[in-house]
Amino acid sequence: MEIKKSAIAGTLESSDVQIMLSTGKNGFEFELESDVAKQFGDQIKETIVNVLKKYKIENAEIRVIDKGALDMVIKARAITAAQRALDIVDTPQWEVL
Amino acid sequence: MEIFSNGRVVSLDEVLQNKEWRQNYQETIETKYPNKVVLGIKLNIPGPIKTNASLKKVFELGWNKIINSLKDKKLEIFFFNLFLDKITGPEGVVVVSGDIIPVKKEMITFESNFLLGRLFDIDVMSKTDKNYQLSRTQLGFEARKCLICEQDAKICAKTQKHTLAEIYREIEKLIEKYMKQDIKNVKIKTVDAALAALLYEVTVNPKPGLVDPISNGSHLDMDVFTFIDSSQALRPYFSAAYDLAVNFKEKDLTQLFNELRKLGMIAEKDMYAATNGINTHKGAIFSLGIFLTAVAYLKKQQNYSIMALQQTIKKMLSELLEDDFKSINMKNNGELTAGEQQFLKYKTRGIRGEAVDGYPVVFNYGLSYLKASTGSLNQRLLDTFMYIAEHTSDSNLIKRAHSVAILTEMKNFTAHYFKLGGSKTKEGIEYLYKLDKLFIERNLSLGGSADLLILTIFVAKIEGVI
Repeated sequence: MEIKKSAIAGTLESSDVQIMLSTGKNGFEFELESDVAKQFGDQIKETIVNVLKKYKIENAEIRVIDKGALDMVIKARAITAAQRALDIVDTPQWEVL
Repeated sequence: MEIFSNGRVVSLDEVLQNKEWRQNYQETIETKYPNKVVLGIKLNIPGPIKTNASLKKVFELGWNKIINSLKDKKLEIFFFNLFLDKITGPEGVVVVSGDIIPVKKEMITFESNFLLGRLFDIDVMSKTDKNYQLSRTQLGFEARKCLICEQDAKICAKTQKHTLAEIYREIEKLIEKYMKQDIKNVKIKTVDAALAALLYEVTVNPKPGLVDPISNGSHLDMDVFTFIDSSQALRPYFSAAYDLAVNFKEKDLTQLFNELRKLGMIAEKDMYAATNGINTHKGAIFSLGIFLTAVAYLKKQQNYSIMALQQTIKKMLSELLEDDFKSINMKNNGELTAGEQQFLKYKTRGIRGEAVDGYPVVFNYGLSYLKASTGSLNQRLLDTFMYIAEHTSDSNLIKRAHSVAILTEMKNFTAHYFKLGGSKTKEGIEYLYKLDKLFIERNLSLGGSADLLILTIFVAKIEGVI
């Protein structure tokens, strides 16, 4: 699936993560900002990639500002961002969850 | 204590949606106040229960502390909004003047110094300030530590190092510790206020007929030092009365009063031992004991207000007149107190009547008069004392005068005193010296009014009026 429009989900509050998705050409291109990037950067990216793959997204520019979000929060924010980017907010693919 | 045994479970989605709502809301506020500092204040409670009565109380405690610390820093508060009942937890927003860095430092100090500060999460924002994104570490503070293991909180949260049950236990322990410390502080303050009330009263001068530092009035057997000794001797009584109220579990407050009277009897013995058998504070042991116990009881219930205080006192004393005067007829004349004798002779109810009515002279006259008074503390208390004397049927005065007619005479004295301008005029003070002489000649005193002044001072101290 192609990303139709840039989308954003989440906030800059502590224990949250803000994920911005926009059209990409070369697979998944990450820009990650996080206080715990050293320890958990790969894990954060992996969580997001897994969600995007379930939506069959193959290319995306992904900007992530993490404020110490738990894995389940990252997953939830990634789902919302993907649905907004694919413009399917009104008909969410619940099976993905 | 099980703080997390009740409260609605919220879903992750509700929490995340609320975060987006909050960010939008805060942005609206920031746009509305572009040159001000915006504070977003909330609790930091992991797990699915974000609110209940205890957590709301914790939030309110912190919220009040924050508002006060902002006021102390002379920052102007332009706007605030409190969302106490959100299922995602209580939160609020405050808009203040000033620069973002000092405000942020103040909030970090709150988070680290206030015992419950670790349960708070405060965001400090400003639309126009370039330092918008400054973190604790950039300001030279440590990153927030985990509640349990003192490591970086973010890492513990991320790895879910501790179970929710462990974290809950830690939070409960923290709140319990705070409550205990709070009870201890309130107790010290309250007992101190009672002692101060006794010492202030004896210090106020010149009082007609009463003991003060410059005159023993009509009392040959005591002086100001006797009163200091007596006051000191009553500290254990006040402390015990406080504990009695805090540990009192029954519904019937007349029981609380009955228990207090037992302590009062011990206190009387302590007083006589300290004064070599002279009655300095018998009336105060009775009344101030009641006031202190009622304050302690209400502070424990976190229900204190001036109105609740008067109501509680009334409830404690609802059977007093009936019980006390019932036994009068069984006593020999020699066993009767001054108040009891006067009840039989003049039908005056004395301090018991005043007490049963909830001390109207203290609450309706003394306290409001003291609040509105101006001048030095001695001037304020002196005027308040004379005002109280004007509105009291002082059984000590009646006893010494052997006649109730003295009450009319007393009203003339006080009217003349206030006509002269009271404590702030030379004439007023000279008149008090004259009255003191007159009282000594006729062996009069105003012990009942002095007790009511003590009570007024005590409540004024608790209320922060003086």
